[in-house]
Amino acid sequence: MNHWNQIQIGLNRRTFLSQSGVGLGAAALSSLLSGEKTATAQSKRQQASIGGLPGLPHFAPKAKRVIFLCMAGGPTHLETFDYKPKLAQMDGKPFPESYTKGQPIAQLQGKALKCQGPLTKFRKYGQNGQEISDFLPWTGKIADEICIIRSMVTEQINHDPAHTFLNTGTIISGRPSMGSWITYGLGSETEELPGFVVLTSVGGRNPQPIASRQWGTGFLPSRYQGVQFNSTGDPVNYLANPAGIGAQQQKELIETVQKLDQFRNQRVANPEIETRIAAYEMAFKMQTSVPELMDLSGESKQTLELYGAEPGSGTYATNCLLARRLAERGSRFIHLYHRGWDHHGDLVRYMNTCCGLTDKPTWALINDLKQRGMLDETLVIWGGEFGRTPMFQGKGGAGRDHHIKGFSMWMAGGGIKGGITHGATDELGYNSVENIVNVRDLHATMLHLLGINHQRFSVEFQGLDTRLTGVEESHVIKNILT
Amino acid sequence: MSQVMIRHFGIGLVVFLLLPNQADAEENKVSFNRDIRPILSRNCFQCHGPDSTHREADLRLDLEESVKRTSGDELIIRPGQPDQSLLFDRVTSKDPDLVMPPGDSGKSLKPSEIQLIKQWIEQGAPWSKHWAYLKPKSTSLPKVKNQNWPLNWIDHFILARLEQQKLQPAEDADKITLIRRLSFDLTGLPPTPEEVNQFVKDQSRQAYEQLVDRLLASPHYGERMAMYWLDLVRFADTVGYHGDQDHHISPYRDYVIRAFNENLPFDQFTREQLAGDLLPNSTLQQKIATGYNRVLQTSHEGGVQRKEYLAIYAADRIRNFSGVWMGATMGCCQCHDHKYDPYTIKDFYSLVSFFADIDEDQHLRRGSDRIPTVRAPEIFLYKDSEKKQISEIESNMKTTELALKSATAEKDLKQLKQELDKLKKNRAAIDRGATKTMITVSIKPRDIRILPRGNWLDESGPLVQPAIPEFLGSLKNDQSRLSRLDLANWLSDKNGYGLLTARVFANRFWYLFFGRGIAPVLDDFGGQGGPPHYPELLDQLALKFYADQWDVKQMVKFIVMSRAYRQSSLESAAQRKRDPFNQMLNRQARFRLPAEMIRDNALAISGLLVTDIGGPSVKPYQPAGYYRHLNFPKRKYVSHTDERQWRRGLYVHWQRQFLHPMLKAFDAPSREECTAQRPQSNTPIAAMTLLNDPTFIEAARKFAEDVLQHGGRSDTEKIRYAFSKATSRAPEKIESDALMNLLNSNRRVYQSKPKDAHAITNSGLAKTKQNLDAVEIASWTEVTRALLNLNEVVTRN
Repeated sequence: MNHWNQIQIGLNRRTFLSQSGVGLGAAALSSLLSGEKTATAQSKRQQASIGGLPGLPHFAPKAKRVIFLCMAGGPTHLETFDYKPKLAQMDGKPFPESYTKGQPIAQLQGKALKCQGPLTKFRKYGQNGQEISDFLPWTGKIADEICIIRSMVTEQINHDPAHTFLNTGTIISGRPSMGSWITYGLGSETEELPGFVVLTSVGGRNPQPIASRQWGTGFLPSRYQGVQFNSTGDPVNYLANPAGIGAQQQKELIETVQKLDQFRNQRVANPEIETRIAAYEMAFKMQTSVPELMDLSGESKQTLELYGAEPGSGTYATNCLLARRLAERGSRFIHLYHRGWDHHGDLVRYMNTCCGLTDKPTWALINDLKQRGMLDETLVIWGGEFGRTPMFQGKGGAGRDHHIKGFSMWMAGGGIKGGITHGATDELGYNSVENIVNVRDLHATMLHLLGINHQRFSVEFQGLDTRLTGVEESHVIKNILT
Repeated sequence: MSQVMIRHFGIGLVVFLLLPNQADAEENKVSFNRDIRPILSRNCFQCHGPDSTHREADLRLDLEESVKRTSGDELIIRPGQPDQSLLFDRVTSKDPDLVMPPGDSGKSLKPSEIQLIKQWIEQGAPWSKHWAYLKPKSTSLPKVKNQNWPLNWIDHFILARLEQQKLQPAEDADKITLIRRLSFDLTGLPPTPEEVNQFVKDQSRQAYEQLVDRLLASPHYGERMAMYWLDLVRFADTVGYHGDQDHHISPYRDYVIRAFNENLPFDQFTREQLAGDLLPNSTLQQKIATGYNRVLQTSHEGGVQRKEYLAIYAADRIRNFSGVWMGATMGCCQCHDHKYDPYTIKDFYSLVSFFADIDEDQHLRRGSDRIPTVRAPEIFLYKDSEKKQISEIESNMKTTELALKSATAEKDLKQLKQELDKLKKNRAAIDRGATKTMITVSIKPRDIRILPRGNWLDESGPLVQPAIPEFLGSLKNDQSRLSRLDLANWLSDKNGYGLLTARVFANRFWYLFFGRGIAPVLDDFGGQGGPPHYPELLDQLALKFYADQWDVKQMVKFIVMSRAYRQSSLESAAQRKRDPFNQMLNRQARFRLPAEMIRDNALAISGLLVTDIGGPSVKPYQPAGYYRHLNFPKRKYVSHTDERQWRRGLYVHWQRQFLHPMLKAFDAPSREECTAQRPQSNTPIAAMTLLNDPTFIEAARKFAEDVLQHGGRSDTEKIRYAFSKATSRAPEKIESDALMNLLNSNRRVYQSKPKDAHAITNSGLAKTKQNLDAVEIASWTEVTRALLNLNEVVTRN
């Protein structure tokens, strides 16, 4: 694998250098450093793809980028998108053993299992009367944009492995996450910002831990790693110049390093040095373009209010706005995490908290993208690593345990048919029974919308042609495509 | 070639990698293992290989008897007659329904590969077992024309091939490069200017060997070797899953350092880690060594299902065990027979069975969200002072207990009880503060079944007993059940896996000192891993390692004493084009230093480095809030405010889920899985790290102070001093001019902004020397920062 990795690095380096026009050494650098173009002008969306593999996309993509709104902790499907009147009728009764026998179970191990009816009401929204719960009134307003999938299944019942599975298609650590796969395959549309960005929000209840493995690059080259943005301090680790060192000094320092490296390269002819010069160039660009991205002063009051964004707050609302800004500037995969959805108890209270923080900003993001003509080319996905049991759990007030045999997600934007519901669970909301969608199918569909045939997108690792969708069969969900 | 690479980037490239020497092959003779097996493995074995559940047409192409049998009226392969061989017929078929591999497999053969198959059949289709499963063969020393070049027999193998190819070995590297190379390779640290001077001046014949001996005897040698070992065994300070809480394991790291420093024979090193607890009268160090079995990723999440996690841990162990010692990718067999190699799902669970006696139930029954988490069984490693306190407390407790028995008065009883409670508390406090480490304790082995498709809920599979993979023979002892110790012994037994283990590690030692293995994939000696470029040399090294009774230092010394090792790493465009991965070995390698060494190097140059060996892990500066995604419990990273700030990189607290961002930026692995070879990236994030991480700013500042104090009088002298301290060589004029410009430009800035200068002198823990001028320190800090960022400074040449 390692040789392979090195070749990949070599290959990508070549395409990177030739396609981005950097690495040309002094000439390119001096034009950059002389500030011919302002930072703002540079960060406007660029059309050309930078990096990426030759031969990709395999066919014309419907979506150019992905915004994944990950609701970490496992939001309940039974109080969001999957209304079960039968479960309401059976509230408090023993849960039929025919469903649960021999099935994996998390915190309810060894406990008596009883039905927990829906803890809220549902309404019908949009032209097709999509059923959405009262926790999500704003999502109701975009019912015609979203395709609700009610028949998700996953394979892991604990948070950490379930996230790893959702993000990498396997529970074995050290595999590339979907954002890495996609930026590796397609490159990015920006060279000044990372192609794969991770934003986690503050606020809400006790948050799920999230490992950096979830945006790891695995055996793909390191530059495809998700870059985690911070809401406080440096937006990206080590981005700011050290105290007492001004921008001009930093620039001069980098120029000197590059000059010395180039001079040395005349003696030792090492191609690695050219790559290094390019990396320093990019680092310098990022030192300007990331703060520019994070600076919301250019956004109208109206836009800020639409999202409920407050600069520097690190809220989900602010991150949604940043997601749009990243999308505009050409990032390929924008991964938002909101981490408060693990409602073993007091579900109503915590749903109010979580939905209060996320519902409106999600609506705002979809609307804003639409207004700007970007929704058609942006795939937006909403969902968590699993759903919650139709059985009662009572840590505090009524709640629900982890559940993997049936749960809901939604997709919207580039290439997705809005206003429809796909698949169904049984009458108790336990098993997905109609048009079952595995996490792998979700991956296959996402890749398909980006113009990638998931079967043909593989990298050899430990002798195996490794894919995001793994070795098991997986299918593009054709019915939900435009 | 580039066209092919683009069309089949997934496949073509790898083949390109495996077969680059074909054009150079001796006398046009096709070698089955080098040329043919990789083609078959890559393109055919998935459907016609070892995995019986997915085999098509009941045909195996991985076995000679199967390949040379008839299929209907036709022979799969008729030696000498490609035209009468069904295999050749099918791979050359123009009929899309017949051609192999089939169109929908995404695989296809290149014309050059088809040509190779043709030649091979014409040459009689000679077959041989996969190279990695054959015991190393002893070969006679290859003859060379240039008798002056070789220094030991490594060089004979290399020169003989080079001469055959009409190639020259590279010149010897200059002495400065050599001492830098050896210092980094053997200790992970740069040479001091004095060491460089001394070595350059020393014209004696023994100078080089003396240098090697000095470095091998350095306690930093063990640290350097441990860096690699800890990647293999995925050593980390935290549990890895979910809450990623701390666990106790640093004494195991120190055991590894010590083992390399004391040159513990590798077979014993293996035994102690896998089964130190089962050795008769096992010592404390041997018990600590068994931390190996415990350092896997574990979960302490509420609601983990015991059976599921036992299955996850079992698979983790076998992936690691087989990757580390066998160079095998047995992870595949958790769910099914291996697609390319002869390992079966039964082999996998039989290996699991060896580890079924490890007590790992305790934490599953007592999950804990606290830090450190519950990871019993552990042992306490009391300091002498603690031992003394304990014996005092315990004797006091005895006295008090006795008094309690005889006391009758209410008041006395109450007082004595209070006293006893206090003693108990003190005793417990010692345990809380004492160093502990996870160890292996053997309990009654649990039953191990084959889990069909790896599904832990499926209990229909048969029970299995400990056994080695079937195709490698069988193993027995005089008890009823094989133990971990038997397995460890088998790994070093000449009649077991011993010589194959020796080959796996000979290759990895080679990698440490040449940047690449002789066999290219260090953790996959299977069919997909690619054959060695110098198979005879690799075999010879393996035999030597075994014959030397697993003497690691001797092995390392033998490699670095070779002429091949001493070659220059300069590479011409022509060399790069002809042999991009240097498989011919007519030059040395140059590569960016590993993450820990980048840190160590900067700290060493600056004079900040604290060279203590071992101890609990340390916490250097880290961006605020970097652990904000961790929970159960939430935690704040508090960096150390004493000397621990400047310890070597290998002691940095290894948080699996959030590895220190500096280490991560330079490709250190999270240590969730076995890493036999790190990637080497060159990213903007890494550039920003080296530019702006406070550790490097502090190092640059202390370096600047050193320059001001010891660098001479004039700026020119100082630049010369600084430059040579960082690179071990004198600057050329262009170089010193560039630095002089940087210096003066910064002087102008800081003279007008003295506050900024003070911001620099006031940053970091290490105090600035009082008698130095802040503007001067700040200006020189920019110069030293530039030096620490030079490619040359972070590159091993």
